[in-house]
Amino acid sequence: MTEPTSRSRSMIAAHPITSATIAVLVAADIFFSLYAPIYSRVTPKVGDFPFFYFYLLIFMPITSLVLWLAIRLQKRLEPPAQAPEAEREAVG
Amino acid sequence: MSNVNTTTFTIVVVLFIVVTGVGFGAARWRRASDMMHLDQWGLGGRGFGTFITWFLLGGDLYTAYTFIAVPALVFGSGSIGFFAVAYTIMVFPIALIFLPRLWSISRVHGYVTPADFIRGRYGSRGLALAAAFTGILALMPYIALQLVGIDAVLQVMGVGTTATNTFLKDLPLIIAFLVLAIFTYVSGLRAPATIAFIKDTLIYVFVLVAIFYIPTRLGGWSHIFGAAQTHFAAINPKTGKPNGTFVPSSGSIGSTRFDFASLALGSAVALFVYPHAITGTLAAKRRDTVKRNMVYLPTYSVLLALIALFGYMAVADPVTGANIKKAGGNAQLAVPYLFQHMFPSWFTGVAFAGIIIGALVPAAIMAIAAANLFTRNIFKEFFKPDATPRLQTQMSRWASLVVKIGALLFAIELPHTFSINLQLLGGVWILQLAPMLIGGLFTRWFHRWALLTGWFAGMIYGTIAAYNVKNATTSHWAGSSDIVFGRSIYIGLSAVILNLVIAVVLTLVLKAARVPEGADETLPHQYTADPDKTPAPVPAGVGLSAPD
Repeated sequence: MTEPTSRSRSMIAAHPITSATIAVLVAADIFFSLYAPIYSRVTPKVGDFPFFYFYLLIFMPITSLVLWLAIRLQKRLEPPAQAPEAEREAVG
Repeated sequence: MSNVNTTTFTIVVVLFIVVTGVGFGAARWRRASDMMHLDQWGLGGRGFGTFITWFLLGGDLYTAYTFIAVPALVFGSGSIGFFAVAYTIMVFPIALIFLPRLWSISRVHGYVTPADFIRGRYGSRGLALAAAFTGILALMPYIALQLVGIDAVLQVMGVGTTATNTFLKDLPLIIAFLVLAIFTYVSGLRAPATIAFIKDTLIYVFVLVAIFYIPTRLGGWSHIFGAAQTHFAAINPKTGKPNGTFVPSSGSIGSTRFDFASLALGSAVALFVYPHAITGTLAAKRRDTVKRNMVYLPTYSVLLALIALFGYMAVADPVTGANIKKAGGNAQLAVPYLFQHMFPSWFTGVAFAGIIIGALVPAAIMAIAAANLFTRNIFKEFFKPDATPRLQTQMSRWASLVVKIGALLFAIELPHTFSINLQLLGGVWILQLAPMLIGGLFTRWFHRWALLTGWFAGMIYGTIAAYNVKNATTSHWAGSSDIVFGRSIYIGLSAVILNLVIAVVLTLVLKAARVPEGADETLPHQYTADPDKTPAPVPAGVGLSAPD
């Protein structure tokens, strides 16, 4: 049904743990912002902020961090010939 | 113009003039040898790096209307307004899944619009037309709403409110939009890209100042949240129900946790299906630029969350509440009134200028996106298949003018509630493109006629369902939630699920009946390509410009 490229399919097969980690990171990021019953409550308050509002605010830097990690891991899946250039790009 | 504050007014006018100059000057920025190409006018040369893309997408997605409407919803209904905050969190992991693929395939084939991709993937002009039509339809009211945002600010400033003549009353709005229309015509996507710098600087400054300063005037955060909690729990004598919800609960219809989550999910999926968001994405230079922006763009979400909290500050400030009541209970005025009451007039000027300029950036990108859809997928496809890049660019420039004048008439002639309802519908409509666009990026399994039928069913169902939402005070368009199988759910989401089910079932049927499928011009490896790194083969005649 889906048609990942033959290259990326082999890369996923070559790095099963990295690929699974990326999938879990992205899926968890979506789930924990989507599943409102986890955070839709007033208590515990953090400072003056009811939990609902605190959770939404703190989730934003977490999203950035999680996606940053996912993208770093994706670079490992790229063919080795391109890796050095990708590194330079990330710095520059 | 008797009650206009001169300081505020002067600062707004000066900043507007600066922005106008920048907008016209933008045409010279990163100038290409041949500007008469859609890759130049419509996509800024497809050469924007991480930093510019961040400003451009930030300016594109977090519109002036968002800054007015989200706090207005929070002011009016409480926590359901924070769906916008949850949605701007989950939009980035969702977009990371499919957006880099869309960028790659569009770069390889020189696609300018999402409908170009659908045309290439399914080999179907009809399906591409459906996508272009939906995109233009959803963008028009969205542009009109940017004007509604400007209008809310102008109204609080007292500009034009005392004039009895309609033309004079709307003159400031007309001037703002004419300026916008002309610099978009001249500079294309480069104009909003440069103006976005100024807009975002102003907005970051006023939001950060406001978020630390206003609570000190209102007795601290505990008082703000306390006032909101009390207010939304109180029973409204008109409806016999609470004023709103302080956190999403399982109780009140339209504000349940399921409403909250489905509204957030539906909006998150819709955001990067909107043609203007795709325009901003395709202008990026590299595949990595798109990915990295998913990491940096949540900064804007923090801003949006803080802006949403202004809604509660407006609840906690009795003066703002009284001013809104005096203006006929229009919640859209919550943020402008709050600032006017809290800040010295010069700083109010900075904030108001930020909102007004903030309307120009997305409005320009939306007009460009709509114009490109018209030129590429209607004009070139059905009327002039041999249109040269030069003719296409000229056509798009004129189309962008027409789109904006249309939006202006929309905003002036029709009641604002009508634009707001249409924008609500726009979100529902645009979601109906998700199966063909996002689905198409991962699989060629769907049959083109099945997708077209699903799209049609979703559009019809979504429109009727949205029309039929009623509450105690209004009989139509009262909200965005629908009750399906005993659950209150966002209409866009229920419509797209219907759309998807029909597409799957019909694909099975059509495949069994061996109905011919269109030719697919894309190749699997092109979905992960970055032509700057490893040049991919370019099919003849699709007009890929050499970047830089």
